[in-house]
Amino acid sequence: MKKLLHLCAAGAVLLASLVTASAADAKLVVAMLPKSKGNAYFISCKAGADKAAKELGVQLLFDGPTDSNAAKQNEIVENWITLGVDVIAVAAENKEGISTALRKAQKQGIKVITYDADAMTDARSFFVNQATPEGIGQGLMDEAARLTGGEGEFAMIVASLTAANQREWQKHIEARLKEKYPKMKLVAVRPCDDLKDKAQSEATAMLSANPNLKLIMAICSPGVPGAAEAVKQAGKTGQVKVMGLGLPNENRRYVKDGVTDSIILWNTGDLGYLTIYAGVALAKDELKKGAKTFKAGSLGTFSIVGDNILLGKPFIFNKANIDLFDF
Amino acid sequence: MKTYFRELSVAAALGVVLLALAVFAPAFYQPQPLLSLLTREAPTLVVACGMALVIISRQIDISVGSQFSVCSVCAGLLAARGWPIYLVLPASAACGAFLGAINGALVAGLRLPSIVVTLATMVTLRQGLNLVRQGEFVNLPDGIQWLGLGQTAGQWLIVLTALGLLVAFGLALRHLAAGRLVYAIGSDAEAARLAGLRPQLSTFLVFVLLGALTGLAALLNVAQSPQVQPLSGSGLELKVIAAVVVGGVAISGGRGNLWGAFAGLLLLACVAPALTHLHVEAYWEKAIQGAIILLAVVADGLRSRKGGHR
Repeated sequence: MKKLLHLCAAGAVLLASLVTASAADAKLVVAMLPKSKGNAYFISCKAGADKAAKELGVQLLFDGPTDSNAAKQNEIVENWITLGVDVIAVAAENKEGISTALRKAQKQGIKVITYDADAMTDARSFFVNQATPEGIGQGLMDEAARLTGGEGEFAMIVASLTAANQREWQKHIEARLKEKYPKMKLVAVRPCDDLKDKAQSEATAMLSANPNLKLIMAICSPGVPGAAEAVKQAGKTGQVKVMGLGLPNENRRYVKDGVTDSIILWNTGDLGYLTIYAGVALAKDELKKGAKTFKAGSLGTFSIVGDNILLGKPFIFNKANIDLFDF
Repeated sequence: MKTYFRELSVAAALGVVLLALAVFAPAFYQPQPLLSLLTREAPTLVVACGMALVIISRQIDISVGSQFSVCSVCAGLLAARGWPIYLVLPASAACGAFLGAINGALVAGLRLPSIVVTLATMVTLRQGLNLVRQGEFVNLPDGIQWLGLGQTAGQWLIVLTALGLLVAFGLALRHLAAGRLVYAIGSDAEAARLAGLRPQLSTFLVFVLLGALTGLAALLNVAQSPQVQPLSGSGLELKVIAAVVVGGVAISGGRGNLWGAFAGLLLLACVAPALTHLHVEAYWEKAIQGAIILLAVVADGLRSRKGGHR
């Protein structure tokens, strides 16, 4: 059935391209920039992007820094401008930092779209929002409150103190905390540079510095297994809960051992898929400013608020359902 | 006394930090977290021993982080295939030694500048690994963590292995002819050659040694968790070089020792947990580490202007 749907979608796209673009002998080139390309999170985005590119018959370039490096992202975008790609899809490491290069790309007639982490609004046409910062922040904070019974100290591990999406989520987590959970207290926020090992060191220090800690929340994917290993080594399994944003495969063992309680995420493959569909539609002039909905192949219709294409609600993985997912 | 002023001042700075923690954050001194901290730093110490030798011989290797990642993933994959730990260990060290030999051959054999050679291998290895692994974690079988010994025993073994290597290399550097040779080629390679030594061969071997130590360190790190992140080791080169330089090893070669590098490493490693314990914002971490490095380099600059030891 799913296959049939894909086939239909591919057929529809083929037809559309025949009708609208008689001069499109050359394949559209879509360039996708992750924050760091070694990160499994972006690899799973790429899986969805690959699928979309195949269905749409476009060429996908996927390149990014090996670590979370804002300057390196600029370099890659500059290269793509020289190369003359048709669409650039960016997950911005540094909101202001990347925007100059993106504006330059737009001036050259390249369509720019952001996903995962937004750039400045004038530097791109649309932002594919994996979940609104409110949705994520509230989802994380509500789950943290559920796990701790709504009271006690908790600490946070972030990827870096400057990444745009991390700061945005943090803001909403703190807002939700203030508004709904007065008995909970955020006692520390530490960066892990996207490294599991550093997250583990940081969590170890947090545990000894804050003896009343009841929960560690990691909002970057390598941070969750790092924090879980620290809690396990400290012999505080169950006593200090671990939760956060992450990938099922990286946390499966800790979730099954009862160290990590909940993993919160959206479907990353869908995020990559939707990004490519939106980017290509933009290049073909099928997606315009002011649109209220957007249809992306086999995933169906998504709503657009302002210039944000919304992927939907986050999803909670736990002991009960984690084995149903493999990514 | 004057000869070891640099080392002693780093040790004194470390002493001040530890004393301040004892007064303001006594919770820092709990056995389990402290042992965990030392265990986390043990692999870095092993790499730092090799890096100190390379820098003393007036070379540098910025590819150690990538070597570390490649060795970690190789060790992880072999362990996942069911290799026992006593085979994975030499395999990881051999993998590192091989990567070090590539650097060594290019630097010593073709007389290329080591910063350029290792920059190239750093990027090549990192990207190659990304291409092959796509960032996916390697899940390890149960017996590998803590080398199959259980947590506390495993942590002690890892820490003592690192300290043992430190002492062995520290003493060898001071008392063995091979150790003095490292200083000789770092001070003046041409003079060393005229004295009948073979500086190119020594340089090659120093790179191989650093590679082997990096491979060993990677295994000591792999054994600390049930999964390997291919990104592990990213940024390690900066951490290690910073520790060595802060510890008084002259970046221009010929001067320094491992005891200073050890103190430098502990000083830099204390910054993050100290901030957490003092409840200071994390923004300060890198700024403070940078200031420590700057201070060390300035101290070296002033000393060499006065015409003291380099």
